[in-house]
Amino acid sequence: MSVERRQAVLYILLLVLPLPLAVYTIGLGRYEIAPGDVVRALADWVTVGHNASDLPDLAYDIVIRVRLPRIAAAMLIGGNLAVTGAAFQGIFRNPLVDSNILGVTSGAGFGAALMLLLKGSTLEVQMSAFFFGMLAVLAAYAASRLYHTAPLLMLTLVGIVIGSFFSSLTSLLKYVADPLDALPAITYWLMGGLTSVTQRDLPMLGLISITGMISLWLVRWRLNVLSMGDSEALALGLNPTRLKVIIILFSTLMTAAAVSVGGVIGWVGLVVPHAARTLVGPSHLRLIPATIAMGMVFLLLIDTLSRTMLPGEVPLGVFTGIVGAPLLLIILRVNKTGWK
Amino acid sequence: MLKRFSLFLAVIALLVGGVAPAVAQSGNSLTVLAPTSVQPVVEAWAAAFGEAHTDVSLNVEFVESSEEILSRAANASVILTDDPAAAPELDFECGFISDVYVPLPGVGAWVIASNSCGGSVDPIDAAALDFAAFIVSADGQQVAIDQGALPESVEIVDQAGMTVTIPQPVRRIASPYSMATFYVYGVGAGDRLVVAGYLGVNSDATKDVMRAIDPNFDALSTAVSTLSQKEANIEELAALEPDLLLASARTDWLDAADELGLAIIRFDGESPEKLKEAMSLLGAVLGPNAAYRADEFNAYYDETLANILAQTEGIENPVRVYFSGTDALRAASADMYQTMMIEAAGGVSVSSDLAGYWNDVNLEQIAVWNPDVIFFPPYGGASADAFAAPEWASIKAVQDGKVYGVPKLVAPWDTPVPDSILGIIWMAETLYPDQVDLDCPVEATNFYSRFYGYTVTESDLQSMCP
Repeated sequence: MSVERRQAVLYILLLVLPLPLAVYTIGLGRYEIAPGDVVRALADWVTVGHNASDLPDLAYDIVIRVRLPRIAAAMLIGGNLAVTGAAFQGIFRNPLVDSNILGVTSGAGFGAALMLLLKGSTLEVQMSAFFFGMLAVLAAYAASRLYHTAPLLMLTLVGIVIGSFFSSLTSLLKYVADPLDALPAITYWLMGGLTSVTQRDLPMLGLISITGMISLWLVRWRLNVLSMGDSEALALGLNPTRLKVIIILFSTLMTAAAVSVGGVIGWVGLVVPHAARTLVGPSHLRLIPATIAMGMVFLLLIDTLSRTMLPGEVPLGVFTGIVGAPLLLIILRVNKTGWK
Repeated sequence: MLKRFSLFLAVIALLVGGVAPAVAQSGNSLTVLAPTSVQPVVEAWAAAFGEAHTDVSLNVEFVESSEEILSRAANASVILTDDPAAAPELDFECGFISDVYVPLPGVGAWVIASNSCGGSVDPIDAAALDFAAFIVSADGQQVAIDQGALPESVEIVDQAGMTVTIPQPVRRIASPYSMATFYVYGVGAGDRLVVAGYLGVNSDATKDVMRAIDPNFDALSTAVSTLSQKEANIEELAALEPDLLLASARTDWLDAADELGLAIIRFDGESPEKLKEAMSLLGAVLGPNAAYRADEFNAYYDETLANILAQTEGIENPVRVYFSGTDALRAASADMYQTMMIEAAGGVSVSSDLAGYWNDVNLEQIAVWNPDVIFFPPYGGASADAFAAPEWASIKAVQDGKVYGVPKLVAPWDTPVPDSILGIIWMAETLYPDQVDLDCPVEATNFYSRFYGYTVTESDLQSMCP
């Protein structure tokens, strides 16, 4: 088998891997449910939409209402954060950025904290997080236009400034929050995690994530051109600024949706694109789908560890950091096909 | 035996004298009876009190034995005995004996308010109450210290294991730690607070109750602009010139407060034993009256707890309880006060395998536990709504409709405050309505009147003991 053939097989395997993994992890959890019962619960749900068998209610509820939404959310958020990381690394031509570079997470964190302080409902908190995440990036973009040379560098710098600004605002809110009242809720939200994901969180997250993933896949060619630099893009007849704005807009929407459901989950957007590059190379043709698949697998595995290991939930950030940091070092060491 | 006999004698003497109701004396003359053993101090008190109250003529009489004091009690407005527990048993038509004041170790002062039949308080009764309040105040303590009857400083080991020397008397208390604020009220020294934290007192209803407990509530809660576990405006705090700072062992800014040379007591009240120890510590540093009240509280706590335990002991298949936190998916760990409360109330905490503070858990873990009952706290936006989501529908406690919010009057009943004993009563009643015989409304009414001097209203009772 030639090298190309082998790579093609590997690529296909990579793309289908999330599905069997998801099916497998549905069977895992603190509450022991026999595989047959899991299958029956799923079959009931698919066929009649509710528990039809003599299976106890609890097992059905756990499979359908707890595990399934959480697995779906982990996959959507993992794929989402990973692919936006890849897109940002491409357009910023910088291997050290992810979609948080323009302050979306800090903005979303502030939005959530604000609504938690005002005692908003879960939906209001998510909407507020989403809105302020978008606002932070728009502010960063608008501010970067003030200065005309080296726009990408300027955008990065302003993004960091806006991010710090919103972080400070969040600290201010935590400072005024009643320590018995809103403060624990804010701290809890900022830590991130998928513990309280329900079916109700999925429609918006799913819609935005899938639309965004498809959009980024559609511009895969153009991403290749952009990652060569603006002058090459212009020479090839593309308007690099407009294209970047569109990509940033989609990526920000996606990240804001992910953060508003799962809180701040680090590392995925940084590590996974590099890992994918070592496997399928730097071309976005294969990189975009591979990053999505690997992001899904990465977060799904980590969330499964987090929800099954101990009676108490292990915060996601613990595993993404512990697994992600050494992984990144290994990738940087062995990476020969990626950044030149 | 001797005590009983002396009381008997006192009653006989009263009956023979035919003085019922006891009418003290005429004019604005306040009669104080005291044992000769404390003569110098009482004379010094009388002199100091007389200076401040020139309209009252003070008549102090000294007697040798406590029997004699009791026998002459009816002729006095204030009686001091070296046996604080031996209340003079006087038979009043409409007068009353006020609560006991303890100005010196082992010396009780009883105020006989003898003439309140007509509704308006007799000026002498008012003066008698003033005198009693004076001798247990910081000023009265100072007089006793000058006379050598009380120590000039007290050394204690606080709950963080630090040895602290506290000059006496303590006049100005800063209490950024909310639990300690309620300890101070519990030992009857609320008037010495200059600034205090009141965590959880954030609704209008609880603020009104707090104002009734302490008319200074609004001023005390805002005396320093920033005062929490995490942060404090040290300069504003210093400007209040407190001579005692009551903090949590987990308060972050104590090193800076140390630089001001403040005496600091660090509390860590996460168990019934620690709560009682905290009360005793405050008793030790706030004078004999506070010490007496701390002992009273601790005895009440032990007695009430023993009563609950006697009833919940031997209950088969104890109820399995999930105590959730500010989020429905946060569980109280084994080290927390809430877990000990559940155990005292005869239940079992399903999350007692967890260590540390609050632990995040997932719904599957709760399904594994499948608790019979869920409790949630009266703060942090926790509410029964969180458990109404469809994911929770097949958890046993939710199916059975056994999801309960812990009540509170001012401080949350699930935190290590004196009120938490009521929380245990409420839990036992909620977990075992048919098996235990406790009376939440009566206990709550007694508790708040005895330790906070607050008269519980009908609507308070409805929210506390539903």
